[in-house]
Amino acid sequence: MMSAETIVQILVSGLLMGLLYALIAAGLSLIFGLMDIVNFAHGEFMMMAMYATFGLVVLFSLDPLLVSPLVVALMFGVGAFCYRFIISHAMRAKTNAGMVQVFATFGLAIVIRGLAQFIFTPDYRSIPKSWLAGKTFDIGGIFMPAPQLAGALVSILAFVGLWLLMKKTDFGKALEATREDAGAVGLVGIDRNRIFALGWGLGAALVGLAGSVLAIFYYIHPDVGGTFALIAYVTVALGGFGSVFGALAAGVLVGLVEAVSATALPPSMKAVGIYAVYLLVVFLRPRGLFGHLS
Amino acid sequence: MTPPHAKRRRRQLLSGVIVLALVAALPLGITDVYIQNILVLTVMYAALSQAWNILGGYCGQISLGHALYFGIGAYTSTLLFSKYGISPWVGMGAGGIIGAALALVIGWPCFRLKGHYFTIATIVLAEIGLLLFLNWDYAGAASGIQLMAVRDSWADFSFLRSKLPYFYFALGLAAVTWLVTFLIEESKWGYWWRAVRENPLAAESLGVRVFRSKMAAAALSAFFTAIGGSFYAQFVSYIDPESVMVFQFSLLMALPAVLGGIGTLWGPAVGAAILIPVSELTRSYIGGGGRGIDLILYGSLIMLISLARPEGLVGLASLFTRKSSPA
Amino acid sequence: MPKTDRLNRRQATALLGGAVAGLPLGAARAQAKDIVVGGLYPLSGANAQIGVDAKYAYETALDIINNKHEIDLPLARTEGLPNLGGAKLQMVFADHQSDPQKGRAEAERLITQDKVVALIGTYQSAVAVTASVAAERYGIPFLGADTSSPSLHRRGLKYFFRAAPHDEFFTQAMFDFFDGLEKRGVKIESVALFYEDTIFGTDSANVQKKLAGAKGIKILADIKYRSNSPSLTSEVQQLKSANAQVLMPSSYTTDAILLMKTMAELGYKPPAIVAQDAGFSEQALFNAIGEQGEGVITRSTFSLDLAAKKPSVGQVNELFKARSGKDLNDLTARQLTALLIMGDAINRSKTAEPAAIRDALAATDMPGAQTIMPWRRVKFDETGQNNDCTPVLLQRKGPKYVTVFPAEYAVAQVSWPGLK
Repeated sequence: MMSAETIVQILVSGLLMGLLYALIAAGLSLIFGLMDIVNFAHGEFMMMAMYATFGLVVLFSLDPLLVSPLVVALMFGVGAFCYRFIISHAMRAKTNAGMVQVFATFGLAIVIRGLAQFIFTPDYRSIPKSWLAGKTFDIGGIFMPAPQLAGALVSILAFVGLWLLMKKTDFGKALEATREDAGAVGLVGIDRNRIFALGWGLGAALVGLAGSVLAIFYYIHPDVGGTFALIAYVTVALGGFGSVFGALAAGVLVGLVEAVSATALPPSMKAVGIYAVYLLVVFLRPRGLFGHLS
Repeated sequence: MTPPHAKRRRRQLLSGVIVLALVAALPLGITDVYIQNILVLTVMYAALSQAWNILGGYCGQISLGHALYFGIGAYTSTLLFSKYGISPWVGMGAGGIIGAALALVIGWPCFRLKGHYFTIATIVLAEIGLLLFLNWDYAGAASGIQLMAVRDSWADFSFLRSKLPYFYFALGLAAVTWLVTFLIEESKWGYWWRAVRENPLAAESLGVRVFRSKMAAAALSAFFTAIGGSFYAQFVSYIDPESVMVFQFSLLMALPAVLGGIGTLWGPAVGAAILIPVSELTRSYIGGGGRGIDLILYGSLIMLISLARPEGLVGLASLFTRKSSPA
Repeated sequence: MPKTDRLNRRQATALLGGAVAGLPLGAARAQAKDIVVGGLYPLSGANAQIGVDAKYAYETALDIINNKHEIDLPLARTEGLPNLGGAKLQMVFADHQSDPQKGRAEAERLITQDKVVALIGTYQSAVAVTASVAAERYGIPFLGADTSSPSLHRRGLKYFFRAAPHDEFFTQAMFDFFDGLEKRGVKIESVALFYEDTIFGTDSANVQKKLAGAKGIKILADIKYRSNSPSLTSEVQQLKSANAQVLMPSSYTTDAILLMKTMAELGYKPPAIVAQDAGFSEQALFNAIGEQGEGVITRSTFSLDLAAKKPSVGQVNELFKARSGKDLNDLTARQLTALLIMGDAINRSKTAEPAAIRDALAATDMPGAQTIMPWRRVKFDETGQNNDCTPVLLQRKGPKYVTVFPAEYAVAQVSWPGLK
């Protein structure tokens, strides 16, 4: 049977990974909460951020951590751009607006993947050397790899920052107001379009942050977004669409469940554990753990 | 039914028959095997998307996990045939029934979920199905099941080189799903589903049995999807979980309906007629380079259609008919 | 707008024509006298790099066949195919996107539209299943260049051929290697199996379990994992706890990278790793893991250090490297060899008719010295399988792989814990 040490190791690894899942899901949840759109290109945004990190690291011989803020800013721009030139058009649909957005972003995802293959070739890339890569902390027999630890830390900081942004700043309040009633905010002088664009920018920036951290220890490839995308969507739904805190809780839960399922079930079926938890939760709470009443 | 309405319905039926006749005649002029293959795929996706449309378009429950039923249909008929020698025709029916039954079992807890929660639940259930089949040795697990036919046979529904029997079956399936859609549009159920789609709470208060409506739509949709899956298994003569139960397949069943016109009679067929040839031709004639250009083209097309024409392409046709017929 | 600013119609047509011509049309028509062979590979999606590398391998083989090279290989010293009046061999490639149905559609397209006389492919065994059946039905020979599923040649097909080993050969070589270690005083008592859940992984593991069982080797961990998982920490933790003597992974590149990195992160270093190739023969893995790769052993059909005994290996590698920027590896060597075998058969068929090519393939009896592979010879049995293709085991020493088994091809001693 499994030793206590093994169990603790599995849970710790699951927690660290879960915090990263939470960060990936945060942007998706934010965008949805703001305007009821599920961004099917979310995984591809993350892939873009990973390539951007790789490219900047190789070009300027800098550590990924240093390059990360630039990548985040870049992704903010990408998100805002996508809203302005693509999503805003999708939202003008009078009928089936929900479906149109799904497929417009789905088409966008395919295009981004094709572009990545065209520009970078389908070969697998890795960031060769970085300050964090390869280091791992051994605390009492429990191993915590430095990149994942950093990722978890970044994730927590990002969520704290997000909370402060939403509650304490004008922008955050405008975001919240637009989420509550997008139609009415025009009356109080809030430019709805501008808020949406900034919201998309923020959502993309968050997943971009996750991507640049992931690039430190994960391989980079045009299809890498797909590997994380489904987990991201399940995480957001589990936490409750629109609830950023829900994304955090759900991400951690998914990370832990994945880790435990890989030992309790045959590892090739570990995802069933995650899916079962999702179904169980939504059957009992149809809006996820912390979903907003719309 | 008021007279102009009846006239419209008759006109729709007539146009259905005409299109069917035209499409059925296509193989007379098209003898290239590869193009015929595209035709088979196109009408198959038209049928699958039409089936999806019943639940997604008319009833408003967006499922992105229909590959589950497709796969169940494929595996049911293939297992019955390869292990017990039962004719695929029987297997097809069995697959359809099992698919419908599964839809009811899934629908029971899932239909209390709304919007994206429901959609993600359907995705997740299809993934569970995929994982179960990937790890089920009796069904071949990852290696799948191959059907080795040695001669053409209608009884076994397998043909060595000819695409025509498959084409006509798939066309028949598309015609049946189209007809079913046509009939329910004007039926009691059709009105209920539209009510459920527009405003479930109001519908409930008006006496529409929301839950039962959804269950019926799901069962009907799953039934035809599973039959499509059995067809596919016979057509390709080889199935494995990754080729019949993946998420990409679920998307491909919904995409033609969404781009063609979700919740419309002709939407799925129009969408399939455009999407399938485009994706096949771009892969074959542009994809061989390995540079991803075919993906860029295909994705751009999807984006363009969904943004420029959110109601779907069928809406374009009505621009012409409105002018020519009296109100 | 002034006239000078506008493109006139002639210029516009030329531009458009140029743009269209510049598109990488996969189905480019070959010249009239050329003999065309079809290649089916994944050229988009997750495995696109495999297809890209395969194209380089095949183009190198075409160069060897069609042009004059002073290399000791069949058809190298001539231009084109001598028995067919010097006709050149060409290849057209089609993308099967790792889907069996699409693979079949492309096979049919290549056969009926491009009129290929033979097919080569497909990397994924699932696609080979349907594509080879289509080829059979049209009477076109199908050479499985790099598909290793043991069931492919056992379906009673007359037009299916495979020159390279399949999983049973490969795994047998690994366990023969273990026998060799035992003779030198190191007994293998336990292994850990780590395999992905698609056809490749499950076939590989099935054979490994059978052979381990037959030799009484304990399987302390039997871990089937989901391919392309975002995280493998639990799985690796289980491997670590099992603490077997040898870790035997069957993984593609992405999973191999994640496996090795996770092992480093969790502080797990097995005494030995003996891999079922795939991801472990890709340079991308070693770019990602650096020194951690030292000592990893993999089975392979090919090794670069054969060049010491066979100059053709080095010469061919130079040609390949000039095109692709990489050295030949297990996959690309098999692909290149397959086309050379095919070219030789087409030449011997004298007519380049598919049925004649099929018979020429069946009659192939090529000594291993005439290939770049460490094989005794190329001779297909009645099921189309070549049984004289010896796999080798390679060990990572420094920046490259060296052959360590079997003795007749080894250039270095294997490093193994406890071995003097």
